[in-house]
Amino acid sequence: MTTSASTHGALDGALALVVELGLPLLSGVGEGLQDAGAEVVASRDPRWAGSREDVDAALLAALGPDRSPALVVLSLLGEETTAFRPLGDLDLQAWRAGAADPIRVAMRVLAALGARMKPAGRGTILFLAPSLSLVGGAGMVALSTALEGQRGLMKSIARQWGATGVTVNWAAAAPRALSPHFDAADLAAKGDAVPIALGRRPDARTEIAALAAWLASPAGRGVTGATLMVDGGEWMVP
Amino acid sequence: MTMLDWTSMAGLLAGRVAIVTGASGGVGRGLARALALSGARVVVAARSPAGGQETVALIEAEGGRALFVATDVCDATAVRRTVEATVQAFGGLDIVVHNAASTLARPTPLEDIDDALWAEQAGVSLDALHHLAHAALPHLRDTGRGRLLVLSSAQGQHGGAMNPAYTALKAAQRGFVKALAREWGPYDIVVNALAPAALTDAAKAYLEADPERTREAMKSFPLGRMGDMRDDIGPAAVAMCSDLWRYVTGQTVNVDGGYYTAL
Repeated sequence: MTTSASTHGALDGALALVVELGLPLLSGVGEGLQDAGAEVVASRDPRWAGSREDVDAALLAALGPDRSPALVVLSLLGEETTAFRPLGDLDLQAWRAGAADPIRVAMRVLAALGARMKPAGRGTILFLAPSLSLVGGAGMVALSTALEGQRGLMKSIARQWGATGVTVNWAAAAPRALSPHFDAADLAAKGDAVPIALGRRPDARTEIAALAAWLASPAGRGVTGATLMVDGGEWMVP
Repeated sequence: MTMLDWTSMAGLLAGRVAIVTGASGGVGRGLARALALSGARVVVAARSPAGGQETVALIEAEGGRALFVATDVCDATAVRRTVEATVQAFGGLDIVVHNAASTLARPTPLEDIDDALWAEQAGVSLDALHHLAHAALPHLRDTGRGRLLVLSSAQGQHGGAMNPAYTALKAAQRGFVKALAREWGPYDIVVNALAPAALTDAAKAYLEADPERTREAMKSFPLGRMGDMRDDIGPAAVAMCSDLWRYVTGQTVNVDGGYYTAL
């Protein structure tokens, strides 16, 4: 895949914050946003998973005291979230860490981002996650629970913040396009003769990043609360 | 609206044993009564002895069999004891309905959700599912017709603006259902969610306070009304727990008079 001409320059000079916890899923997206001309700040600061004060400190470390990003891409998963284990093998501590904590983390991160982005009156937040939470998978109850919880939260916040000019969306990508970690997963599979309409998985740098760039552009500002499938037409849900 | 003639559903769950959490009132009571009217023996699992015993009395007055077991669904030990008490009293366990919801699930802006509020709501919504699944799995697997039904909400689908914690947790329960349906499918255990629009006492009070508000709200319901907990929501739950729906799993079914049609 090559960088598409339409993506180049789409984010010229714009500030993009890429926040990632847990499994590394966003490196290709960050590179793609740079290709599009954005100033990309990537953060894997563990304080994003801490208290509200910790999250504020992580945001301060990433962007300084005053800057408000035009685009934020989030992947907020815990280590327990992406471990492939049956529910029966998870004790309560592991269950909370895998299923509930990522939702709580997303709440704190959104609250901190909102404090900057809402007064600025603009900006786009995009959660990026594997599409398997939409279809479920054995050994992935915690992952599916956490991601669907974050997706529900995304919709609620999109409604709350829409009038401020801040949009919030969800991109569901083919899992194996995001990380080889999912090669080991017992993923649900389409049984059709043509399981992926495009016949290939999306490329993070050129295609997933392009979606994020478009959402942050004036052309994408009317989209909020949406679940956007970036899986080459595999699931076509709903 | 007339009451449902339950004779058409009598015996649909004959010989089955069910636990319904949060059945001391509201939707849970309606579901417990519906399951019992269809022949299931029902354990009313709730914190409130008074409300729980009242549900048992209603079921018995309708010719059913029920037992109240005091249960805090956030307490793993209490949930395990409830499952054990169920098996001891009725000889097995076929159906678990997780209906209990936090009493703190009131509209709260994102910025005002503190750790205590989150812990309470996440405990009832997600910890409880963990406890119930762990305690019930051996029995649901043994029966060969196990059912786990989770009471979700359309807010988890369309995104309730005023209550992000509740919305997120109800959406999370849908994720739980989809994944666990795949995990428990090999055991012939069916796992689904039901999203009701029930005319609870709280909903009734809210609507009756303002007739104009009621007229506006009912425009969202093609059937023009919210559902009776026993006679509208209950029959759908019965069907989902019966053999009639044995090939439906991993789904969220909206039982809401047509309120949410966006899927």
